[in-house]
Amino acid sequence: MDIAISQEQATVPVTVFHIKGDIDVTSYQQLQAQAQQAIDAGTRYLLLDLSQVGYISSAGLRAVHLIFNLLRTDSPDESARAVSWGLRDGTFKSPHLKLLNPSPGVRQVLTTTGFDMFLEIHDNLEEAVASF
Amino acid sequence: MKADCALRISAKLENLSEVRRFVWETALSLGVDSVTLQDMLLAVDEAVTNIIMHGYRGREGHIDVEVGHTAGALVVRLRDEAAPFDPTRVSPPDLTLPLEQRAVGGMGIYLIRQVVDEVSHCITTQGGNELTLVKKGTIRGY
Repeated sequence: MDIAISQEQATVPVTVFHIKGDIDVTSYQQLQAQAQQAIDAGTRYLLLDLSQVGYISSAGLRAVHLIFNLLRTDSPDESARAVSWGLRDGTFKSPHLKLLNPSPGVRQVLTTTGFDMFLEIHDNLEEAVASF
Repeated sequence: MKADCALRISAKLENLSEVRRFVWETALSLGVDSVTLQDMLLAVDEAVTNIIMHGYRGREGHIDVEVGHTAGALVVRLRDEAAPFDPTRVSPPDLTLPLEQRAVGGMGIYLIRQVVDEVSHCITTQGGNELTLVKKGTIRGY
């Protein structure tokens, strides 16, 4: 798996991870580590471009969930209680982490596991960046 | 089950992608659609990961992967020679725990049950494990 990183500017600065390859038990730690590095360097808004990801396993989902939590803030809108209620009502989506253009197979995994309930999935880079 | 193709791999995580490619290509040749196939691929990946990490635990060994069909269902059978372990008897994970606090692979069995229709386990005559995953109604014409 390779990750190319680009920076986009909309209302806020958005870091884009262009991921190429499968995200499975052999590669999820690399994704976690690079996300941690970016966050340590100041990234607060992260878009994962999945257009070149052929496959994601539960290890990859675990990495995505970890990144979601790393980017969560202490604001009342993102408290555990607010997220829990928002998930139940279908009103919560992460303002910090979003996904771009997953393949039908990857999208299906995200849907099956409920990740689409708290992460926005976009089909267009410009729209995705502008949505932050 | 009519076995259509078989693959033997060393029980190493770097071979996971080869298993996925093998299941993908064999099932596609049987006429399984790619979206349905993604479910089986996820189940196989999780099951093989569990065998390597929790069955063999770093020891040398191999895993036999067999892809076939019966009555319109796609069937994948995994055989290993690790210590006997029946994943179908594992309790569902505590879904209230954050994902990052669960062991890697801990979600595997839960996910397998979510994406395929049947999961069964038996002990082989050599004392290893045989895990069978079934996805029904996936092959037309049977």
